[in-house]
Amino acid sequence: MIKVLFFGPIAAATGERDVSVAHVPGLTLGSLKEMLAAQYPEAMHLATMMAVNGEHVRDLALPLVDNSEVAFMAKFSGG
Amino acid sequence: MKEAVRIQQEDFSQDEEIRALQASSKRMGGIATFLGCARDFSEGREVSEISFDAYGSMALSELEKLRSDAIEKYGLLDARIVHRIGTVKGGDNIVFIAAGAEHRVAALEACRWMIDELKQRVPIWKKEITPQGEAWVTPHP
Repeated sequence: MIKVLFFGPIAAATGERDVSVAHVPGLTLGSLKEMLAAQYPEAMHLATMMAVNGEHVRDLALPLVDNSEVAFMAKFSGG
Repeated sequence: MKEAVRIQQEDFSQDEEIRALQASSKRMGGIATFLGCARDFSEGREVSEISFDAYGSMALSELEKLRSDAIEKYGLLDARIVHRIGTVKGGDNIVFIAAGAEHRVAALEACRWMIDELKQRVPIWKKEITPQGEAWVTPHP
């Protein structure tokens, strides 16, 4: 399974803090984002930043291994 | 002594943080600090409270990297970063950054760099709670 985390404005838009997505061979960050965009179009429109296992990632072609933790995040506003 | 990088609900003491920074080296000739506070007015509206959400483990790890990067980039003797989460009111402290160096220029530049980088790198979001409702903040440049 892939654990997907939502925070701040994206959590508010999805109504969820996290969801689990079944891992399939060949799953990439981009294909996961597309799947979630079909389910949460408004929320995923805000997702301009991504992290895999707590590290910033920009490459949508990144293959995801099973049990990864993925966060789709709105632009940060701390400080 | 408290950790040099922290994310916490409770308020912090600037004096304690500066004392901890000074205690790290007697070669420190300049300390620059940045204190970020909650405003009670934003975008033409009264703001009664600000609530923070964070990707806690990643935010802490990014703050630790930010401190290490600043120490290396500016040749600092030490640096400290504390960010609050939870809910704060107008005038309350939000974030404190302190940079200590042998001379003032490195300390001042590093302090400015750290708060600018924090806003770009660290997964924390703020929501303004107003009498008219709540709104997640769109980042300022």
